[in-house]
Amino acid sequence: MCYSNTFSKVVYNRIVMSFIEVKDLCFSYVEDNLVLDNLSFNIEKGTYTCIIGHNGSGKSTLAKLIAGLLEAKSGSIKIDGLEVNATNIHSIRSKLGIVFQNPDNQFIGSTVRDDIAFGLENKQIKREEMDDIINKYAKEVGVLDFLDKEPTALSGGQKQRVAIAGVLAMNPEIIIFDEATSMLDPKGKSDIKKLMSLLSDTKKYTIISITHDIEEVLLSDNCLVLNKGKVYAYSKAKDVFNNAEELRKIDLDIPFSLKVKEAFNKQHIKLKSNDLEGMAKELWQLTSNH
Amino acid sequence: MAINFKSLTYIYDEGMPYAHKALDDINLSLIEGKITAIIGQTGSGKSTLVEHLNALLLPSFGSLEILDRTIVAKQKNTGLKALRKEVGLVFQFSEYQLFEETILKDVAFGPKNYGASEQEAIQKAKEALKLVGIEEKYYDISPLDVSGGQKRRIAIAGILALEPKILVLDEPTAGLDPKGASEMINIFINLNKQKNTTIIIVSHDNEMVYNFADNTVLMDHGKVIFNGLTLDLFNNKELSDKYNLLKPKIVLFKELLTKNGFKIDPNIRTIEELSKYLAKEINKK
Repeated sequence: MCYSNTFSKVVYNRIVMSFIEVKDLCFSYVEDNLVLDNLSFNIEKGTYTCIIGHNGSGKSTLAKLIAGLLEAKSGSIKIDGLEVNATNIHSIRSKLGIVFQNPDNQFIGSTVRDDIAFGLENKQIKREEMDDIINKYAKEVGVLDFLDKEPTALSGGQKQRVAIAGVLAMNPEIIIFDEATSMLDPKGKSDIKKLMSLLSDTKKYTIISITHDIEEVLLSDNCLVLNKGKVYAYSKAKDVFNNAEELRKIDLDIPFSLKVKEAFNKQHIKLKSNDLEGMAKELWQLTSNH
Repeated sequence: MAINFKSLTYIYDEGMPYAHKALDDINLSLIEGKITAIIGQTGSGKSTLVEHLNALLLPSFGSLEILDRTIVAKQKNTGLKALRKEVGLVFQFSEYQLFEETILKDVAFGPKNYGASEQEAIQKAKEALKLVGIEEKYYDISPLDVSGGQKRRIAIAGILALEPKILVLDEPTAGLDPKGASEMINIFINLNKQKNTTIIIVSHDNEMVYNFADNTVLMDHGKVIFNGLTLDLFNNKELSDKYNLLKPKIVLFKELLTKNGFKIDPNIRTIEELSKYLAKEINKK
């Protein structure tokens, strides 16, 4: 291949520029106690990235920095080439939506419709357009039937769906889920995870999910493991558990299927499958092979 | 000894247009000295049920027998303050209730409120903080300046400082990371073993319930559907299918193995037990 020098440089730049670029990022709430310590990583457009790490590893702080809710002490975050700083904050925020942990803390409207409309009103969208937008996203997240209900009439999972509809209505490029399922009951959790997967499948959104739910990691593309404010591991989600011992060292859990594999390994039974169904079959074959 | 709910009904906003029957003619006996989990979907009445245990809610109809007392609907019940000391209730997201200047003062608040001297209260607070694993170096800092998991432990210590005979916890591990959650559970198991404290836990986490609760109560629409051994509930395919119980992964795996032809010992609770059991089965052949 032969490009002129200038052209290849342009191409090169295009290729290396990631959608979200975090470089040498440091942050502390009190002096001399770095919560984030020289963090550098990139996130590509349209991917679903889980950020895991135990309480106090800096996960939520990182999310707040990306959203421009906190200001970095040093280093930089660039979103689509724009540095997250006071000058760019409005353009950055228009690209980004956050779903928080507590469903009750983010319901501001008196009805579902009002709540989804809140951001649109701020953007001074015309009434007629607004109705269409609300209906579209209420349908997408499955709350169309409750548009006129009050928040007290909704379950936690339903409130989180409304929060997601409100975020989607603003047409974001990035959605940050900050432990969005951790306060929900099992049904709410699984509903919201399904919805997140659907959103990820559209490839329209770059999704960052701060989570403790190790099983959710298996649904995502990439996984960033934080420990003591540093990047401990960053890889394809399916590979992150390859080194289970390293995760255990920093008190992180591993998925159930891997634990099963390990336990049988200890009994000198090597299982090839990665899913429970396959393992059950393999085990049964072992009994009949003898 | 047992805690007995007798034909107990509870109606929120009784007599009002929005009246809502949250508990519907409950007859239930909980054994003291055990760890009992209360499970069921959101809105099934779990929290309403446990809030009767320390008379925070009084029955609309029926009665409750607990620790030599009987609380009867629509009667003037006395001695409730003493009952509230003996039945410690830890709410959901209890860390939001911390308020004192220092961690030690926060935990000492309960005993002082029940008439202990300053010195006694501090002593009780120190013991309780030790039980939940909060070290001495934290005593004099604000309870608001520590991590979420630590705050939760401090809130629980505030109840433990009252030395309750019955400890009732509403979703004590929600929002904690896996390590924090398992440490929390170990605190309750130790209390139960060492001090024979009755532990009653409302939970959505069936994995945890399966692992450590002796007994489980399943609720649905204000009624008790099942009360008995935890293993019996999750091994009961009919019940767990009918009420959409989210089965612990180990139970799902055991079901898959059974489908393939294995006969699995119903008492197996952990992956370790299961792998050892199957290794034996396989080597037998």
